[in-house]
Amino acid sequence: MHCLRLSKKQLDEGRKYEQLDISGDVGLRIRGNTMEELFENAASGMFELITDTSQIKAEDKRTVVIDADNYETLLIRWLNELVFLFDAHNFVGKVFDICLSETILSAVVRGAYFDPKVNERRLLVKAATYHRLSLTKKDSEWEAEVVFDI
Amino acid sequence: MPLEKLRRINAVKIEVPQDYKPGMRTKGIIYVDEVLEKELEAQSIAQVANVATLPGIVGASLAMPDIHTGYGFTIGGVAAFDIKDGIISPGGVGYDINCGVRLLRSNLKKEDVIPRVKDLVEVLYNQIPSGVGSKGKIRLGHEDERKLLLKGARWAVENGFGSREDLEYTESGGCIDGADPDLISQRAYERGRAQQGTLGSGNHFTEIQYIDEIYDEKAAESLGLFRDQITVMIHTGSRGFGHQVCTDFLEVMENAVKKYNIELPDKELACAPYNSPEAQDYLSAMKAAANYAWANRQCIMHWVKESFMQVLNAGPNALGMSLIYDVAHNIAKVEEHTVGGRKVKLIVHRKGATRAFPPGHPELPNAYKSIGQPVLIPGDMGRASFVLLGTEMAMQESFGSTCHGAGRVMSRHQAIKRAKGRSIRREMEDKGIFVRSAGRETLAEEMSEAYKDISNVVDVVHKAGISKKVARLRPIGVIKG
Repeated sequence: MHCLRLSKKQLDEGRKYEQLDISGDVGLRIRGNTMEELFENAASGMFELITDTSQIKAEDKRTVVIDADNYETLLIRWLNELVFLFDAHNFVGKVFDICLSETILSAVVRGAYFDPKVNERRLLVKAATYHRLSLTKKDSEWEAEVVFDI
Repeated sequence: MPLEKLRRINAVKIEVPQDYKPGMRTKGIIYVDEVLEKELEAQSIAQVANVATLPGIVGASLAMPDIHTGYGFTIGGVAAFDIKDGIISPGGVGYDINCGVRLLRSNLKKEDVIPRVKDLVEVLYNQIPSGVGSKGKIRLGHEDERKLLLKGARWAVENGFGSREDLEYTESGGCIDGADPDLISQRAYERGRAQQGTLGSGNHFTEIQYIDEIYDEKAAESLGLFRDQITVMIHTGSRGFGHQVCTDFLEVMENAVKKYNIELPDKELACAPYNSPEAQDYLSAMKAAANYAWANRQCIMHWVKESFMQVLNAGPNALGMSLIYDVAHNIAKVEEHTVGGRKVKLIVHRKGATRAFPPGHPELPNAYKSIGQPVLIPGDMGRASFVLLGTEMAMQESFGSTCHGAGRVMSRHQAIKRAKGRSIRREMEDKGIFVRSAGRETLAEEMSEAYKDISNVVDVVHKAGISKKVARLRPIGVIKG
């Protein structure tokens, strides 16, 4: 699939995602100038919940292709695909090259394999859920909220 | 939603009336006293009401005193549906299918163990893989994993983890019939391959405890429990395997809701009519995950026994470590209950709730027939855990169910903030509790203050008569993920 990405100024680090305080679970508020950037920041934010990704190098590669009927479902499927890659194969994503064609997502994820002896252990994310899920456009930015079952 | 619409029934129960929300087919009942009522979240009350709108619900939509907001259904929720016109919902079981607890007794007294507790905690931590990203010592080939899903704890026993007798003291014999490995996704198989025999993270633990209080001497004797006795509690579930089964079937159910035109007040209650292929497929997959969890706790128990033998340099007979019981607290099961004087088959969802069958129930092992089913309630790592027994009242009121644990009162962030500048490990050591955890912030997130006081929770179910107190267990060594 051919995909054109417009080069846009990235959001400041602190505006890409922030953790939400939810009793028992954990949530993320994610922002992006484009839908691709939103999906990218969601992935970065989720892996940051799992470990300190500054210790992770972009040395291995995985590809992901998924689709859905709408962007909300696509976002949850995307994150759950990454949960699977981590939980089954210990793969932590660092750089996400995402291409969206309508609601078909194809991504090349670069990252490394988590080593519990070396990498910081944070939260065990069981799944991204539809609990309080939202995805909206605010001014010129996309914003989403996702709650993870931990 | 107005809290004043709630009606107190008695000292330990409140009613969520049927007009609390449009579409409710029945009322809700929450087991709380006036102390725990103050901690009720508006959203969890709304969830009790939402569950009451689901087709085929029988009796009230129930919640135990450890209620807190969950995915669709509250945690601490019990809901029973008619198998002819009711539904089954993965949200009523939860992501961690057959998360549960087992308790081991021993011949040891606390003074035998306290001098070696640090060593025991260290060895247990090394023997039981725990925490984010840890893989187990067991590697399952595809055929092995299929067999495990069919056999549950029996698979573990056949592979040298524990004895056949353990199965008798495990809910459902450690295996529910009807698991279908063909309904399991490749992803679930892959997540399950290296996670058998692992503890996980969050509130899961292995804990060395001693009995500091006996409430019912006769029952305690029947269970082989005595004051100052050392026990070990294991709290874990079906790990990534079960999480993936839940993720997979939530999607199936979302489509089923459209296909069968089920009106839902909340998308998270996604479900399917019990007799539909979607529901039956979920049930068979859920059973496979439940069996995975029973095998998991069986394997971990084996390493607990090995660790005690190693550290205390004693043989199995001297230690006398044996399984008291193993309970599931996230599961849906077809059970026979008496409703309006008639015996009916129901699909009972227990999500953060424990089965509490009474004396004489056919599902109990012979040794417990006269006293009722042991109910194991883990508390937070600093306070206490409890052994209760199931009662006839539970059969009459709560589909043979009771509470499952403490329930959080503080979010992770609040807990981490509260722990700032403190050493939770040191505070625990000052209380005589040695802790080892894999995660950097686990101890802060899991500190006592982050949870309801388990004693209050247990007192409510005891006073309500849906289970009765037998013994209190105090932690002295804790292994966390």
